[in-house]
Amino acid sequence: MNFLKITVLFAITITFMNCDNLFEYSVYEASVKTAQKNTTAKNLQLIKEIQIESSDFKFAVVTDSHIFYTNFNTVLDDINKNEDISFVIFGGDLAEQGLLKEYELFYGLMENLQKPYLTVIGNHDYSSNGGEIYMKMFGDYNYAFEFNENKFIFFDDIVWESKKNPDFDWLSKELSSNNLFKNVFVIAHIPPFGDQFGPEMEQKYQSLMQANNVPLSIHGHTHSFLYENFYGDAVNYLTVPAPNKAPSYAIVSVQNESFEIELIKL
Amino acid sequence: MKIKKILLLFVALLFLSNTFAQDAILIQDKAKEKAWYEPDYAKMQFAGNLGVLSVGVGYQLFDKVLYTELLYGYVPVSISKANEIHLISIKNTFPLYRKKIGNYTVSPIAGFTGSLETGNNSFLVLPDKYPKGYYVPSAIHFTLFIGVLVHKDFGISKRIKGIDFYYELGTVETYLWSAITSKEIGLNAIFSTAIGVNLYF
Repeated sequence: MNFLKITVLFAITITFMNCDNLFEYSVYEASVKTAQKNTTAKNLQLIKEIQIESSDFKFAVVTDSHIFYTNFNTVLDDINKNEDISFVIFGGDLAEQGLLKEYELFYGLMENLQKPYLTVIGNHDYSSNGGEIYMKMFGDYNYAFEFNENKFIFFDDIVWESKKNPDFDWLSKELSSNNLFKNVFVIAHIPPFGDQFGPEMEQKYQSLMQANNVPLSIHGHTHSFLYENFYGDAVNYLTVPAPNKAPSYAIVSVQNESFEIELIKL
Repeated sequence: MKIKKILLLFVALLFLSNTFAQDAILIQDKAKEKAWYEPDYAKMQFAGNLGVLSVGVGYQLFDKVLYTELLYGYVPVSISKANEIHLISIKNTFPLYRKKIGNYTVSPIAGFTGSLETGNNSFLVLPDKYPKGYYVPSAIHFTLFIGVLVHKDFGISKRIKGIDFYYELGTVETYLWSAITSKEIGLNAIFSTAIGVNLYF
């Protein structure tokens, strides 16, 4: 009897002390913890604080981590070791079913990253209540920032799951200042030649990139590597592989008005 | 022909469950026999991914080997921070053994729940706009749990004949899969607790 009592009490105490969330009410909850809110704004602040003396810098592109946590973590470890990388761009699909738990697991892993990171929303991230969770945990779907005379534009181009069309007017406005920067990089989860773009939208995206001298359009979604001027114009399209089979990511090395892409497979 | 067979099977199952239910009642309550469909107890649970609060009725099946419950769970907007969440769940609890301690019976328990929810952008059948297999259905989830249940009998002559209190540690199937396949995901990240009560009448 005493043994039983002690065992039960012990089990309950251990539980209370260790569960990240003591009570969970539903997998569909969107109640983001206060400490995990406004992550985009916090990271933009960190990027502002980066001191850089030359016009050359590097950033890493990781994408489509889904539930490939182990490989994804290997990628983060590798990025931590590389002092040349200033910040990390995540290309979308941090979740599988858009569940709060998946967002929290992603957030937890990213806490191991010793560099600022910025995300764009992916189609999986919109599933269930994911769209609302993303808004609270990270911030706006569309945003842009400047770093070292370069501009980075994060563009939500999810169609089916978001139940809206991409905001091309916003994108066009952000791109219009392109002559003030050495390079303008656009990051959107689905490439324009991907499955969710109709011919009209594909044409719209391609012509916007071309007209505004975007040298590199960065994507995820396909889980495979592609780097080429897909439409035969001056715009290069990069899709970065998912860390599903092997831990993999890309490093973009910016040198003044040019850049190089390196695919890392671990 | 096929329909006939199915009907026959259904009748056989009905007959079987009737016998089982009667057996259970004979042991539990010799004074008055219940109709097979009458639940053995009412239930209320807090948390456990079945809603903030879930309520329903339960049956003790196969001579109290399995407790099966039909539950409705609810999460208000103030807690979900999205839409209201309505969950219909079937919960199955197995008491692993029973130990009498004074007036109480203590049982370690284990079980699983299947839950259905369709009001938060989740679906049972993939909408037409997606290519086949683009997503797995997101409206059904399963929870798995272990815990401890304490039972007290009040006697068969009482209006409420007995009560269970239970405490559980549980997780969801997709969470568990992530923890199993990734050493970075600890059990503390995927398990949460639930408490509940069963009232027998």
